Amino acid sequence: MGQSGDVGRLVVPGDSLGEIGERRAGHGVLRRNGELIVTRLGHLQEKAGELSVHPVHTTYTPRPGDLIVGYVEGMRSNIWFIDIGGPFNAILPMSLAAGKVDFGATREYMNVGSAVLCRVQEVDENHGAVVTMKGMGLRKLNSGFVDRVPPHLLSRVVGVEGIMLKSIKEASDCRMVVGQNGRIWIEGDASGTRLARSALSVIREAGHLPDIESRVRGILEA
Amino acid sequence: MGGYGDVQMLNEDGTRMDGRRPDELRKIEIEVGVVPVADGSARVQWGTNLAIAAVYGPMEAHPRKISRQDRCVLDVRYNMAPFSVTDRIRPGFNRRSREIGKVTANALESVVQLELYPRSKIRVEIEIMCAEAGTRCVGLTAASVALADAGIPMTDMVVSVASGKVNGVVILDLNKEEDNYGDADLPMGILPNSGELVFLQMDGDLSPEDFQEAWDYNMGAAKEIHEIMVAALAARYGGDD
Amino acid sequence: MSIPLVPGLLRDHLRELSERDERVDGRGRLEGRPLEVEVNPIERAEGSARVRMGDTIVYAGVKFQIMTPYSDRPDQGGLMTSAEIRPIAGRNWEPGPPSEESIELGRVVDRGIRESGCIDVNKLCILPGEKAWQVIIDLHAISDDGNLFDAFALAAIVALRNATLPAERFDVGEDERLELSCTPIMCSYHKVGGRFVYDANGEEELGGDERIHITLGDDGHVHSLQKGLRGAFTSEEFNDIMGAARARREELMQLVESLEQD
Repeated sequence: MGQSGDVGRLVVPGDSLGEIGERRAGHGVLRRNGELIVTRLGHLQEKAGELSVHPVHTTYTPRPGDLIVGYVEGMRSNIWFIDIGGPFNAILPMSLAAGKVDFGATREYMNVGSAVLCRVQEVDENHGAVVTMKGMGLRKLNSGFVDRVPPHLLSRVVGVEGIMLKSIKEASDCRMVVGQNGRIWIEGDASGTRLARSALSVIREAGHLPDIESRVRGILEA
Repeated sequence: MGGYGDVQMLNEDGTRMDGRRPDELRKIEIEVGVVPVADGSARVQWGTNLAIAAVYGPMEAHPRKISRQDRCVLDVRYNMAPFSVTDRIRPGFNRRSREIGKVTANALESVVQLELYPRSKIRVEIEIMCAEAGTRCVGLTAASVALADAGIPMTDMVVSVASGKVNGVVILDLNKEEDNYGDADLPMGILPNSGELVFLQMDGDLSPEDFQEAWDYNMGAAKEIHEIMVAALAARYGGDD
Repeated sequence: MSIPLVPGLLRDHLRELSERDERVDGRGRLEGRPLEVEVNPIERAEGSARVRMGDTIVYAGVKFQIMTPYSDRPDQGGLMTSAEIRPIAGRNWEPGPPSEESIELGRVVDRGIRESGCIDVNKLCILPGEKAWQVIIDLHAISDDGNLFDAFALAAIVALRNATLPAERFDVGEDERLELSCTPIMCSYHKVGGRFVYDANGEEELGGDERIHITLGDDGHVHSLQKGLRGAFTSEEFNDIMGAARARREELMQLVESLEQD
């Protein structure tokens, strides 16, 4: 996640950032014919000589170690297919479930539509992904609600040193887990859940604006 | 191209029936984010043309047989709404739409960094809601803005525009009557930063000199249209801040 | 349409909300989403409308063709309504021939208009046995966030009320406004978390059960009903939403009348 507040001018795919010189090409920037070229719509960032783009829209790309919320999309006797909200699905082998699961009993353990808090174990070159439920707190989510915020706006949900997430949790009196795939688990009473969801909805709509923090605070304090 | 040379499409002062100069575009308005449920979208009002484009993905490539191990599949559809033209179009399979969808896909594939998303699919949906002339250019331009809005990595935007010839005069961006009575039509898909072409068609009859003039008109107009595209994206996401 | 994944937690959440008489987006049970209607946005259509209900956006376009009347009804014109949900409308809408869902949508909207008799097919006759007008309403969804039925029906009736018969183009007289004798309006109710709500959004449709569509014309007349999807409902539930539909129909009627163009 990029640094919040460090947003520069809007750049568009194809924009030239001039000769490469001493600078390096980061995310959303490409070297071509001695020049740095923008490849994604977003706001330009520069950090330690590296130029990158903070995109206005992203799809989740899984990386090993990511904490995510997945949905069971299907299963076989020893495996679940998990929708991770990315450009491809992942598999969850029976052996990586939270407890012991008997061969052929995958459906009894988690059926289609179940939400699961899991971690990305590995992603191969061909975008085959494996997720695991082995680890602290990883589990099937039996209660609460899952909302979505695009992955590039998660830094707005969390805030500097987690301060924004803390404020949302406190104001709404909800438990929340922010999945790196943009799915956010919320558990609390109905009015609390609604408040937390309103805060997330403001971030979805206006997360790219510089005054987003005060907008969210406005919702929480109203 | 019909080549009805006897129909007068130009005024005596050299302007066109709709008052434009030979090298003048129709009015173009672009709005970003018009399909709330899509990952990216754009509406392009270009003269009386109205195109809406939406992008979904990258997502898991279904059915599995279309997926490719080395890159993303760009699934592009171009469609004209039944009420988009004077005589209603029956919905369903249409060879013209299929061909335009294909050349549009080939144009966009030339800029989208497909290799970043193996086994995935990006859907690009272009709907022509109202047609005047040049819908393939309007559709391709709208799709390019929608892809940018969806955050899809691309090496450049694609700007598309056509020039042609009526009454022996080369003109930019033909309207419906000019298209009906003109002698030639040259639509191009241009990368505004490098000046490269990713889409090119032509039909009709152009002399070498006229061809060059039509080509140059398109190249010049591409810069102008690109500015409108960038301004539309800036209007949605803020310019300098 | 591909079958969307229904997250189990969504259903539970909707039920909890319902027990507290709340909705997922904070609306009241019978409250509609913000509504925006644009009249004749499509220059090539003889009548058109764009309707936005929340994040659901649709267009309706009216075209006229000259037809030969059917031999058993030589002095009548025709009416056709067709809905095609192109894949632009959402992640789960797929290319290919019209899905069952789009066919149902088109037919339910068609029945409401046809059965209300708002279009007098006898008046569409130009020359008995030889020439008559065929009215074609095409429904086109751009963004599906739930309740395409009401959005389509409203767009269709607004497009019809603002349509012009292009007689000059077909060389059969002078252009004139299409006459409508009444105004059928559809109101749809979805069972969400165990109770019926008006104008369900995409999330409520995804986690909901059966739906009921009611088309009402002038003076409280009922013109079409349709129960869709899996689920059962009681007479009491039906009476409740019928009452709600009558009230809502009057509100929408005022809106439709305020949009009239000259």
